[in-house]
Amino acid sequence: MMNFDLLQAIIFDGFFAAIASVGFAVISNPPRKAILVSALLAAVGHGLRYCLLHCTSLDIASASFVAAFSIGMLSIVFARMIHCPAEVFSFPSLLPMIPGMFAYKTVLYLVKFIQCKDNSASVDIIVSIFKNGLTATFIMFALVVGVALPMFIFHKQSFAVTRILKLVKKN
Amino acid sequence: MDIHLELKELSKFLSDYSTSLMAVGVHTSRIVRNTARIAESFGFFVDMTIFQKTIIMTLRDKDNTHSYSTVNKIKPMALNFEINSQLSSLSWEAYDDHLSLDELKVKYNEIISHPRMSKWMVLFLVACANASFCRLFTGDWQAMGVVFIATLVGFFVRQKMMERHINHLFVFVVSSFVASMIGCTAVLYNIGTTPQIALGTSVLYLVPGVPLINGIIDIIEGHVLAGVSRLINAALLIICLSIGLSLTLLLLGVQTL
Repeated sequence: MMNFDLLQAIIFDGFFAAIASVGFAVISNPPRKAILVSALLAAVGHGLRYCLLHCTSLDIASASFVAAFSIGMLSIVFARMIHCPAEVFSFPSLLPMIPGMFAYKTVLYLVKFIQCKDNSASVDIIVSIFKNGLTATFIMFALVVGVALPMFIFHKQSFAVTRILKLVKKN
Repeated sequence: MDIHLELKELSKFLSDYSTSLMAVGVHTSRIVRNTARIAESFGFFVDMTIFQKTIIMTLRDKDNTHSYSTVNKIKPMALNFEINSQLSSLSWEAYDDHLSLDELKVKYNEIISHPRMSKWMVLFLVACANASFCRLFTGDWQAMGVVFIATLVGFFVRQKMMERHINHLFVFVVSSFVASMIGCTAVLYNIGTTPQIALGTSVLYLVPGVPLINGIIDIIEGHVLAGVSRLINAALLIICLSIGLSLTLLLLGVQTL
């Protein structure tokens, strides 16, 4: 029964991540055919991260790395299928995982630190600044390195995906 | 044709091409690759330096006897993945079919002037996205509703101000202030069981995700200067977003977040 609840939670997580990724993707006007793919990748990636965070003892940065790596691998497969550069749908599918909240909380705690007059309380605030700031930085690097690794591994393929578009048209 | 005239014409086109790639949010190594590929199809070599505001490039022929340099401002365009994808395939088309410069220009203008998705559609989808983002942070249905309205109004304000070409940092402060003011109603009137999350996620649609990703990719691939300047720009936007949010917190006296 417990497992069923977890599975349901993972699916819901993936579903909402897909909506979030579509919405944030349309700000940067992606090609129509890439929108659905980025939604699918976001669902897989975010669901995987949710699963890793709740079933294993991985921290959020390592879990993000694994999720981003799987997004990167899948995006290369899809890039060859629909002939778009891989980042056109791998970037939007990373957007729901961007540590925006950690990033702005860092700034909010900085503001709080300046306003704080009590010395012992300001030590706690410094801990919060570092915790949020470092988490945001590590997640950001984990996401980008994870998604870029497959592009480095499959160097040739990922450069020439938009070229195949033309060859297919010719045939 | 005179070699110098040829270099000049191609140079003008390439600097136009690369500045629009930079403006629509392509990472630096792809810009360098695409531009070099087009130059190669004409039998020339190109070397370029990319800054946040300008691109400097020199086009030269095979035996280095003639060259032409240009400096061009980056265009003020919004992020656009469709143009990114189309211009990349245009560079392969030029490479494989040896298109003439006039054909290239026609195709380039066609791609650049392609219309964007309708504004109202984007507005609606962004609001849905931020509401489901609230759900990902374990917010309940009431919180999702508040975030939906907050994003709808905040993003509308942002679109309207962007159309009037107001300074984009100021736009970020104002629209995060508006969105968090509406998000704060959840805290003030105790709507639902998770009002704090509604307030916290109401401004997240403003986080500049694509510049952050591009900046780190640039740093990894060795274009450190371009990458750091992208990251600093993104950090500035996040600071502006936090200023808007902390204005709300100060005005309404909300202590915890």
